[in-house]
Amino acid sequence: MKIPRVLNRKNRILLKELTKTDFKLRYQGSVLGYLWALLRPLMMFAILYIVFSKLLRIGNDIPHYPVYLLCGTTLWSFFTECTSQGIQAIIVRGDLLRKISFPKYIVVVSSQLTALINLGINLIVVVVFALINGVAPSWSWFLVIPAVLELYLLSLGIAFLLGSINVKYRDITSIWDVLVQALFYAVPIIYPISMVAGTSALAAKIILLNPIAQAIQDIRFNLITPETITTWNYINNPFIVIIPILFVLIILIAGAITFRKKSKFFAEEV
Amino acid sequence: MKRSIGTRTEISSPTAPAITVKNLHKSFRLPTEQSFGLKQTIFNRLRGIKGYKEQKVLKGLDFEIKQGEFLGIVGRNGSGKSTLLKILAGIYYPEKGEITINGNLVPFIELGVGFNPELTGRENVYMNGALLGFSNAEMDKMYDDIWKFAELEPFQDQKLKNYSSGMQVRLAFSIAIRARGDILLLDEVLAVGDAAFQQKCNDYFKELKKHHQTVILVTHSMEDVKRFCTRAILLESGKIIEEGDPHKVANAYTKMLLS
Repeated sequence: MKIPRVLNRKNRILLKELTKTDFKLRYQGSVLGYLWALLRPLMMFAILYIVFSKLLRIGNDIPHYPVYLLCGTTLWSFFTECTSQGIQAIIVRGDLLRKISFPKYIVVVSSQLTALINLGINLIVVVVFALINGVAPSWSWFLVIPAVLELYLLSLGIAFLLGSINVKYRDITSIWDVLVQALFYAVPIIYPISMVAGTSALAAKIILLNPIAQAIQDIRFNLITPETITTWNYINNPFIVIIPILFVLIILIAGAITFRKKSKFFAEEV
Repeated sequence: MKRSIGTRTEISSPTAPAITVKNLHKSFRLPTEQSFGLKQTIFNRLRGIKGYKEQKVLKGLDFEIKQGEFLGIVGRNGSGKSTLLKILAGIYYPEKGEITINGNLVPFIELGVGFNPELTGRENVYMNGALLGFSNAEMDKMYDDIWKFAELEPFQDQKLKNYSSGMQVRLAFSIAIRARGDILLLDEVLAVGDAAFQQKCNDYFKELKKHHQTVILVTHSMEDVKRFCTRAILLESGKIIEEGDPHKVANAYTKMLLS
């Protein structure tokens, strides 16, 4: 089997151009333009903060809770944007696929790079808020990078896997929308995991085996407060602890294999 | 459900033919009775219905294109010309058979691939250029020439949706003719536009022929076949029924249409 030159010159240029267009088109025709990339998650945060922290009085036992919440919603927005854009990418760019031959993964990656750029901007906002809130800068902030990478690789795997099925069975888009809604409550974003741990340690452990929860908690731990409960400090069994990482790897490999096999027929089927 | 797949190999050799095609087959699966969606697929599986119909488009093609040849491919609508071109371009996978492409192949299945109406002319030029394999630096160099040739300089920063369709074609053509490859694939793309545009296309073809550029041209114009091609192929329902001298093939095509 010939190993494809993953990012040769032509593919690199194409990836860059597609990402640029994606980014430009996203906010075209809106008065505030790129600012929406910042405003959307901030508004979502404001709503959740008022409802959960002020009205329901959740999370008062966590230091810097507003930033902790903002960090969670930012990462969650990234995950949903990244997966839904990635799953749709082949269909959105179907017109291109039918007329020119190039490695199909490029359209998936380019659609997700936009989400990654948005995350970068939003994480800067989180850091600014953290500093205002009195969080001390720390070297551990750099440990955010591997956790973001993990979250991205998971999204990439999901996009490869579901995106290639979605070409033929468009139901996937709707199924994923519902699944994401359910996942939102399965991940400790609006509620602190300590609340679950208080009633059932087992439930908290199961929640923490979800790679999304693990990555988000890791980022909060390293960025905001070491008092965060993470998969690593809450589950002691070293074999169980690696489940989230293993899960990401399995999804990524299964996705890549499926995508590689199915992508040969995208041009005909899309 | 498993589909067999033929091979498409890319090589680089100064002496080998530009393209070799051996025993090429292709069929499409056309969905029957709304077999789109998960629900129907599951129903069809349960009832033992395939949910698609096999449509054979190419039935065993064998041919070779030498370097420097200007090959015309003609045939009626639905004879398999475009499918053949898309397989050569690597867009569709061959189902059976072997294809060997020698060198860098640049396909024009359509002019202005990737053009987006919401982007400006400038942005579209760079996008289209990227799809043709040009880097930003290369595009910068030829940028002014592209607009001059298209005679659209004042519209560079207008959104493409404000261009007339004629203007869009002119812009796309102006980018396309700058693409250089060992083999050019042209699918009727140039059969549009007014008389002045047609004149530009003719000049372009003449230029290609003069420089012994390897070209594959799919066309309905027997005029073009006789004028530019050094060899031609006539396709009819997925088979080659005439091959060789362009005049002979063009006449066979005309006779076939009249009969």
